[in-house]
Amino acid sequence: MNRWTGRAANLEEWLGGLKANESIMENVTHWRTLPPREAKFAPLPEDLHPAWREALRKRGIEQLYSHQAAAYDAVRRGNHVVAVTPTASGKTLCYNLPVVQSLLQHEEGRALYLFPTKALAQDQVAELQVLADLMDSSIKTHTYDGDTPPTVRSAIRNSGHIVVTNPDMLHSAILPHHTKWVKLFENIKYIVIDEVHAYRGIFGSHVANVIRRLKRICRFYGSKPQFICASATIDNPREHAERLIGEQVELVDNNGAPVGEKHFVLYNPPVVNKQLGIRRSSVLETQKLAAMLLKQGVQTIVFARSRVRVELLLTYLQELIRDKLDDRTIRGYRGGYLPKLRREIEKGLRTGEIRGVVSTNALELGIDIGQLQACVLNGYPGTIASTWQQSGRAGRRMESSVTFLVASSNPLDQYMIQNPDFFFGHPPERALIHPDNLLVLIDHVKCAAYELPFREGETFGSESLADMMEFLVEEKVLHKAGDRWFWMEQSFPAHNISLRSAAQENFIIVDMTHDNRVLGEVDRFSAPTLIHEEAIYIHEGVQFQVEKLDYPEKKAYVRQVDVDYYTDANLAVELKVLHVDKEKQSGDLLRQYGEVTVNAKATIFKKIRLRTHENIGSGPIHLPEEELHTSGYWFSFSEEAAARKSKNEMQFALLGIANVLVHIAPLYLMCDPFDIRVVPQVKAVHTQRPTIYFYDRYPGGVGLSERLYEVHDELLAHAKSMIVSCGCLSGCPACVGPIEEVGLLGKQQALELLQEAGAV
Amino acid sequence: MSGLRDRMNRLRASAAGMQPAQPASVVHSASVDALPILPDHEADSYPTDIQPMKSTHLAEPTSLSEEADNEEQLHPGWSAFGVTVCRNEAGSYLIRRTLYPLDHRHGTHAVGELREAAAGLSPFHPAAGDPAPESILYLDLETTGLGVGTGNVPFMIGIGYLSGNSFVVEQTLIRHPAEEFAMLSDLQKKLRNYTYLATYNGKTFDWPLVQNRMIMNAIRLKDWSPLHLDFLHPSRSIWRNTLASCRLSHIEEERLGITRTDDVPGSLAPQLYFQYLSDGDPAPLEGVFRHNESDLLSLACLSIRFGWLLQEQIFRRIPYPEEAEELVRTGLWLNRMGMNGLPETLYDRAIRHEKAAPSPLLMLAASDKKAGNWERAVLLWQKAIVQAGAQFHEDVIEACIELAMYYEHRTKELESALAFALRALERHERLTLFGQRNRKHQSDQDSLRNRAARLRRKLDRRGIES
Repeated sequence: MNRWTGRAANLEEWLGGLKANESIMENVTHWRTLPPREAKFAPLPEDLHPAWREALRKRGIEQLYSHQAAAYDAVRRGNHVVAVTPTASGKTLCYNLPVVQSLLQHEEGRALYLFPTKALAQDQVAELQVLADLMDSSIKTHTYDGDTPPTVRSAIRNSGHIVVTNPDMLHSAILPHHTKWVKLFENIKYIVIDEVHAYRGIFGSHVANVIRRLKRICRFYGSKPQFICASATIDNPREHAERLIGEQVELVDNNGAPVGEKHFVLYNPPVVNKQLGIRRSSVLETQKLAAMLLKQGVQTIVFARSRVRVELLLTYLQELIRDKLDDRTIRGYRGGYLPKLRREIEKGLRTGEIRGVVSTNALELGIDIGQLQACVLNGYPGTIASTWQQSGRAGRRMESSVTFLVASSNPLDQYMIQNPDFFFGHPPERALIHPDNLLVLIDHVKCAAYELPFREGETFGSESLADMMEFLVEEKVLHKAGDRWFWMEQSFPAHNISLRSAAQENFIIVDMTHDNRVLGEVDRFSAPTLIHEEAIYIHEGVQFQVEKLDYPEKKAYVRQVDVDYYTDANLAVELKVLHVDKEKQSGDLLRQYGEVTVNAKATIFKKIRLRTHENIGSGPIHLPEEELHTSGYWFSFSEEAAARKSKNEMQFALLGIANVLVHIAPLYLMCDPFDIRVVPQVKAVHTQRPTIYFYDRYPGGVGLSERLYEVHDELLAHAKSMIVSCGCLSGCPACVGPIEEVGLLGKQQALELLQEAGAV
Repeated sequence: MSGLRDRMNRLRASAAGMQPAQPASVVHSASVDALPILPDHEADSYPTDIQPMKSTHLAEPTSLSEEADNEEQLHPGWSAFGVTVCRNEAGSYLIRRTLYPLDHRHGTHAVGELREAAAGLSPFHPAAGDPAPESILYLDLETTGLGVGTGNVPFMIGIGYLSGNSFVVEQTLIRHPAEEFAMLSDLQKKLRNYTYLATYNGKTFDWPLVQNRMIMNAIRLKDWSPLHLDFLHPSRSIWRNTLASCRLSHIEEERLGITRTDDVPGSLAPQLYFQYLSDGDPAPLEGVFRHNESDLLSLACLSIRFGWLLQEQIFRRIPYPEEAEELVRTGLWLNRMGMNGLPETLYDRAIRHEKAAPSPLLMLAASDKKAGNWERAVLLWQKAIVQAGAQFHEDVIEACIELAMYYEHRTKELESALAFALRALERHERLTLFGQRNRKHQSDQDSLRNRAARLRRKLDRRGIES
């Protein structure tokens, strides 16, 4: 400890001090120290081109980590490869090493790099340019995206050795104009797909189809490129990469990068109202911990889950450290900042000029910001994979680092924080995609037909090509002549197809009382019940009334009010089972998986007085019904179980179980909590029994329910242990839901029913 | 199959329910390769009260008799407008060939004028010398869609060329997309006989599309690439502000004396073709043939007009432009093409023009300023101020500023400079009164104030020094 500044000499010492700080430690539910790991090295490959070897040496690289060498080896053997590489393990070398080597040997060769975002692409080009300059070679790397000026596009098309782009650009600009890219497609040797774990859910399903189209075009030009993928740590990197590119891949996961000692601290804000299970705001606690770190001079990254929270935390932190540091040393980082500003912040972080950054998951992906010392997560990031990714931002090779996970009161967070073994012992989630989702597939079949006529005998996805062709002929977009189907329509199909689902768009809440500032966001599925007209929307404890909901524009206009009631909307959900694909009977429980349609319509809302909860009025909601045809999984209880409970009791029990399940289901899925829905029904139309349904909230499904069907037993066991271990008396928002919703006995009822269902 | 349709219908219903507002953003977020300029030959509407075009314009196609014995499967409807089958080793497609005698007049020009006018087009490619009339191939496509993506198929390829005593219009059509290979194989052979490719927007549309199709059909073009005579760009340079539209159909009407009757708008061509694909009835395609044929003839006439212009045959072969704007723009374009004599005549006319608007005068002044021709530039700026009269024209402000700069920096007549600066400022402030107060306006005004202040200081200093 420095006597003059009060600062600890290093992070170790500070952590030691923290352990003695009772006011902090009483909220720490778990402190895990992960030991440092030595580097595992491998020599540079024998056959490496001398110029390449020399360039690497100039960059200070005299030997490789074991996984880099293994990736190089696998690529040189001609296999498609997926390399699993945690944050900061030198993953770019896994693909740059073989690609540059090949380009040095065959100058006419070409490579295509795909990154999920433009920012990542920029980093790559800079790095490769430096390497090319060091070698004095003519290897040209260019980004090709929406920002590329038209004047240089044709030069890039003809002479870029490595073209760096994103899937959207490939989909809408490159593939439909492949005749302008003859040089690239005739000579393409490698396709690098970085951050493959980012291509999941519906986005991933689209991208898998874009890759099918890409391979088709390559075949037309007589090339057969090798895929090199890089992924964060997920449960199924190999399976995921194979589904994404439709080829067998070799897995490289012998990470040899060294890691310093890592402290992982789970922190639960203190309970302020035990009865209602309300905890102190996680934002305030995050701010407190981050401020402690920053005042110690520890370079810190804070992750928050929404843009609004980032701004909130940033403001608080900048105020707090104002006397100690220049407030430009703490910055925010999120989508919506201009690229130039982002570059500036990234650079500031690398040089150490910027001491703290508050970010959304935008910094989770592999943007180069160097390695920081501490990481504070405001809320559980939603997946184990993301948590490790974000935590990986802190951790230098030789020094200790610390990550604080500050739980919010949301049930998923509470589960994670109270069950550290689940987090530390469980593999990260599986990345799921469903490339044969019929809607997605047909969209891309159209694009593919536009790019190149289909020929009889070809295949595209698992659906019968002849059926799809026939369908599109009837739709008058294709015309069959001879053994081929030709695109015969005026439109440009890729223009009408976005890889990133519009369904993910949020509604923006605009506060008319304060200069039309944007107050917050609500996801589109919650919008009908939360921000219908006349709804009372509560934001940071302040009441607002929704005056106008512009549904097509996705905007709600609100005005600040002061009333003694809140509103509660009724959502009528009708669920029909169309087809059962799989089923299994275990004990009293029948579980099934298949196709369902869901009709949801917000019907009325009630005005409920605060505190007394009496109903003081109601009104209709006029919003369109949403129909969704998707895949679902459901389980139903036996008639005996049903008979043992009154209808009311059963309702509360089911609701309680559903409330728990909806929060823990994402544990098994790499998805946003809003991607999967749970609906309890006391007497379901399909089964005539008490049933709980799950469905994918995307037309055609993305494979989430199917996965849940597979892990059913584990899912129920988790639900049970979560209810049992919750400290509340008879239900709280962190388990089965508040008493107002599930009744005084809701917790007990839910537990009983789970026990009957055989949950262990 | 019906299973797939049912599933699609169900899914589509839910997809529509999920996305009440179709994401309009999708279109621009895609930021495609430099968006192709829409084919300009897609007309909006045409006057119908004009004499039938067939009698005055179009000759009857000459049938290719040697193909006659092979026509057993050809729909009889085709022969009604002179379409026959063409076969080669790659397959078959349809062809319609129409010969025009050299004295055939299409609007104000006769096609035979090309014989002399062609040489005038040399400034487009000075290194290649004077184009021989027979070395120019006119090209116009009718396509199934917009843009130059790989799914846009030219179902009709119209070419025109001078051969012997005729101007030949040769149009090929595919009865279905599988015939494309045969059609393109023949086109590829023909292309080699020509050096120049004359088009309207062909540099960005027709030619890249032909290249696409050749690649898609694995036909090599590598050893041949055309010298472009794309008349869209010169037309835009000259007529941008004088004509309501720079579509070929509009220019031909306004400047080539051509009127069409019963023309099928080019934008309908894809629909008509799709209809033919589904019912096999050739009749509706006659309109498309005639439209394409007219486009080719108009294109030939437009090239004649430009050929004459570049040979300074104005007044003898083509009329002087009437408006100052067109006079100046024509002159400036000719300057860019390396011509010096004729532009001066055009500029003189523009300057003497009674109704000259300020903007072409300023345009010419800017060019003079760049070339160091200060004398006329000053004259033009002054004339621009006079021509604007009492109107609150922003052009007046520009002219005043230019003059203020001229007097301050070139002749050091500071009093005159100040007078013009103040005049500009006064006009500018009046614009503010009329409601212009955005940031740019404000900063412009500030810099005018600074200019005036600086001139005052300079004048004061000069007063002291003297």
